[in-house]
Amino acid sequence: MTSAPLLELSEVGKNFGGFAALKAVSFTVPTGGITGLMGPNGSGKTTLFNIISGFIAPSNGTVAYRGKAIGHQSVQERSLDGLVRTFQTPKVFERLTVVENVMTGAYKKTRSGLMAGLLNTPASRREIDATREAALATCRKFDLGAVAGKQASLLPAGQRRLLELARAYQGDPQLLLLDEPSSGLTTTEIEAMTDKLRLIASEGITILIVSHDMDLMGIAENIHVLDFGRIICSGSMAEVQENTAVREAYLGV
Amino acid sequence: MKYSGYILLAIVWLALPFVLERHAIDLLVFCGFYAVAGAGVGFLLGQGGIVNLGQAAFYGLGAYSSAYCTVQLGLPAPVGILTGVVVSLCLAFLIGRPILRLSGYFLALATLALGIICSNLFYEAEFITGGTLGIPGVPKLSVLGFALDTPTKFYFLIWPVAVLCVLSMRSLMSSRIGLAMQAMRDAPEAAMVLAIDISRLKLWMFLISSVLGSVAGSLFAHYVGFVNVDSFGVERSIFFLLVPVIGGAASPAGVLVGALFVGLVPEALSVLGDIHRVLFGLALVATVVFFPDGLIGLLKRLADTCIPARRQALKMEQSR
Repeated sequence: MTSAPLLELSEVGKNFGGFAALKAVSFTVPTGGITGLMGPNGSGKTTLFNIISGFIAPSNGTVAYRGKAIGHQSVQERSLDGLVRTFQTPKVFERLTVVENVMTGAYKKTRSGLMAGLLNTPASRREIDATREAALATCRKFDLGAVAGKQASLLPAGQRRLLELARAYQGDPQLLLLDEPSSGLTTTEIEAMTDKLRLIASEGITILIVSHDMDLMGIAENIHVLDFGRIICSGSMAEVQENTAVREAYLGV
Repeated sequence: MKYSGYILLAIVWLALPFVLERHAIDLLVFCGFYAVAGAGVGFLLGQGGIVNLGQAAFYGLGAYSSAYCTVQLGLPAPVGILTGVVVSLCLAFLIGRPILRLSGYFLALATLALGIICSNLFYEAEFITGGTLGIPGVPKLSVLGFALDTPTKFYFLIWPVAVLCVLSMRSLMSSRIGLAMQAMRDAPEAAMVLAIDISRLKLWMFLISSVLGSVAGSLFAHYVGFVNVDSFGVERSIFFLLVPVIGGAASPAGVLVGALFVGLVPEALSVLGDIHRVLFGLALVATVVFFPDGLIGLLKRLADTCIPARRQALKMEQSR
């Protein structure tokens, strides 16, 4: 990779009480393409995601995004800068419809305020109509067009994942952090998910996937493997699969 | 055809004062106050998942501001109402910022404490509130030189105000900010990731709720003509919370039904003698247990099964 890294972690550590969940983790995510972060359960993947997205602060080390340290920024500020994540258990807005879920993704791109909403001003209505149109187009793009009017709580697991992805996409992310996007999905659903991830990446959005799913990881150009709170290997899928440390961590051989 | 139900309701609403006796109209006016104050509590509950057990504080602030400004200072009624709104906004802002960091039961308890503290302040701050004696002689409200000096006249003010509040809440819910509020209620972390500032939205909701409480209190003061501490205790806050709980908090219109229930049912049961309080309690429990979506949810389901056009629409939706 020739371009400067979009995300750079240096010596990031996190202690919960006496337990070191992460020990001096360093890796970079280049601009563009799909990067994978692999590791068995309990290896610290989700903790790392929480640190990158700003939900928890690291005990030491720095996280730099677009060349700037972002340790002081809130989740919202990072999101405004294009850093958007999904969750291991999809967090959809249960009582909103599918299209409304996607519409909230565009929250940061729109302007209408509280008073405009209370008074139902023409400008507010125009904006929300445009937001809805754009969200419907995104729904269709993510194969959710047929269920756009359905309440999100009624969706099966596969569509919940797609919905979370569509919602994140609607906010024009630059770096999309996906936490276990294939977990709980059937083989066909994983294929559909993979297609969507390729589509998103082809639009120039950088993706960082956390997963322990080897099949899904096949789409990543570059993979970092995390075990017991440290990076044990980085490289392409083939390199990672050959690595003895990775084999030990995964297979115990 | 689509609006026939609403037109029918409007006709009934217009006709009621000419059919009912004065006492019944008086009760309906009180239901209007409950609807306005309850709309604020219902908005917090339904759209924010926040239980507010302190609405009587703002109801009291509105009432005392109106009474004090008009009686002691001789100012016109709108100034009193506005003062109440400003004072309530200030209190909601100052208290809301620290307590809205809490959630669930803890937040509910904090609002309860707010209600209790304000109720005590109303009692102690005699130089403004008149303590237990209260403030008598609050002038009747007049709109465009037309004095609202009978229950019937006030009825034609308070219910449009209540409906306006509900319409406003509905409009907000389908707006950008309203969607963000509902998103925050359903999954706060996911909302944060979409750059939704959840602490600000919660504060806004609390401010809206406090304004509605205050306006309802001001109108109450002008209607009754006399305010004292008894009207702003903790039971009153619980009463306001019952309005959306009974009516159904998911839909803003629920508070209109809920207000009628809490305002009329105890009165209707009182003919049965002392047992009426027990019966009211049972009616509350039955409503909550059997109609978790509130009475408005029940009405919607009835409409869906009884009105052919709605039944058709529902079938279409299900077959999709």
